[in-house]
Amino acid sequence: MIATQESTKASTVRIRVKRCDGPGKASYWQAFDVPREPGANIISCLQWIAAHPVTVEGLKTTPVVWDSGCLEEVCGACTMVINGKVRQSCSALIENIAPNAGDVVSLEPMSKFPVIRDLWVDRTRMFEALKRVKAWVPIDGTYNLGAGPKESPEQQATRYTLSTCMSCGCCLEACPQYLLEEDPKKWPTSFIGAAAMNQARLFNEHETGKQLKKDRLDVLMGPGGQSDCGNSQNCVKVCPKEIPLDESWAAIGRSVTIHAITSWLRR
Amino acid sequence: MASGETSENAPSMTSIQRHFLLRRLHSLTGIVPIGVFLIAHLTTNSSLAWGRFALRGKGDGLSVSEGGVKYFQHEVSWINEQVPHLLLIEIVLWVSIAFHSILGVIYATSGRGNVKQYAYQDNWRYSLQRLTGYVGILFIVYHVATLRWGWTFLVPEGTRWSHNFSASTLAAAMQGSTQGYTAMGVAVSVLYMLGVTALVYHFANGLWTAAITWGLTISTKAQRRWGVACAAIGAGLMLAAWSALIATMTLNYDKAHAVERQMYIEMHGETAYLEYMQKKGLQPSGDGG
Repeated sequence: MIATQESTKASTVRIRVKRCDGPGKASYWQAFDVPREPGANIISCLQWIAAHPVTVEGLKTTPVVWDSGCLEEVCGACTMVINGKVRQSCSALIENIAPNAGDVVSLEPMSKFPVIRDLWVDRTRMFEALKRVKAWVPIDGTYNLGAGPKESPEQQATRYTLSTCMSCGCCLEACPQYLLEEDPKKWPTSFIGAAAMNQARLFNEHETGKQLKKDRLDVLMGPGGQSDCGNSQNCVKVCPKEIPLDESWAAIGRSVTIHAITSWLRR
Repeated sequence: MASGETSENAPSMTSIQRHFLLRRLHSLTGIVPIGVFLIAHLTTNSSLAWGRFALRGKGDGLSVSEGGVKYFQHEVSWINEQVPHLLLIEIVLWVSIAFHSILGVIYATSGRGNVKQYAYQDNWRYSLQRLTGYVGILFIVYHVATLRWGWTFLVPEGTRWSHNFSASTLAAAMQGSTQGYTAMGVAVSVLYMLGVTALVYHFANGLWTAAITWGLTISTKAQRRWGVACAAIGAGLMLAAWSALIATMTLNYDKAHAVERQMYIEMHGETAYLEYMQKKGLQPSGDGG
């Protein structure tokens, strides 16, 4: 009997999930034993739980809800807190994060965004922040504007890395200055975080995107902007795309310094 | 839906400019004048340790510690009697420290440290910067209240610091009595070690992050290079701070007082010395020492 129990344990992995039935409801933990499969990731485990929603105590429960999209770490939708650290669940392989029998994996929703249900969060604030800094190239109009100005290869190389941001929210989850704010009215003055700041730099350094540089820097100069960064540099450490966010903060810092001084002298 | 709401709540240009000004003044005041003052202050203090070797022949027959007292007392007299606009300098420093502290506490309480989850070295640096800020404020208030404003009820045995007997009264205030260590003296000495160490760290790290905030160092490489420079500045200041602390904590009150007494009598005469001692409520000492 004992031998059978141990072999069952070795062939399963225990997944603990911090669950929540809906906005404003209290959260609670449930654990599931999921069979180990070669190449299994968190998403495949969650799919198995959805098909077999029975906890380790044998309690039949509702399937765990989560968000996901591409399943190849380029969309950012499946970001969650795995074993205490934020990352994408699609690229979190069981054989890497829980290689040994008896290893437990804990899953929590990101804490800096409002929970919709279980592991699914509402990341609207992050997308609003992109609008706040006008993270786009202004080419809308009623006639063809023709070819844009040339970009140098150096600029392209720098900007390419910055452009790989998938707005997953890891940088915000790990940031000690970025806190949960559920009231959208407060978003325009709350800390903007690394993701949108980095996008502002991406478009400020684009030859056509530059046209909106002044607007972006005005926002980044103000409440919740560049100077609200506390320099813990957690953002750059947790970024799954290894974007040099520490450099982006400093580059935006320089732009804001110059922008503030020149516009003060011009007034 | 949300976008309409958020643009309505966008901050005005005035509040943007005010925010920027406050944030950057907070950064600037930490370096000028507070940081510059810290360097000058710790350099002067450390002369208690190395002053004997800088007396240029005037230190014959004096021990290392007595020579340090002589040099240090000379510096302190110069600051108190010769430096112009001393009151203005003090006011500027006080306004800056109050501004930097109040805003610092507001900024620090706007974050939630998470070193438990993300135990990166830089994240520790972030949390330590806030902790050393709090420790630094408490220490500065105690330090200045007791030694500058004369709140002697906070000093063990009520020793009053005197700028004419700077090293001996400082040693008595830190050791707890004029006869050496008391239990309270140990507590005050520990407070000084913690407070000064916290402030040196706070300054060195602040110097490093200011370069990012203002955009002076951009690449990770440049940030690391400036980091090495800041660590060196911090190590140098820490050496100055600790040598001053060790020199004070090992200072013999009577020997220090004898050096200062001789300097005072050379300047003002024997009678003035006795009157001064009486006025300050200190025990005068005879010849010898």
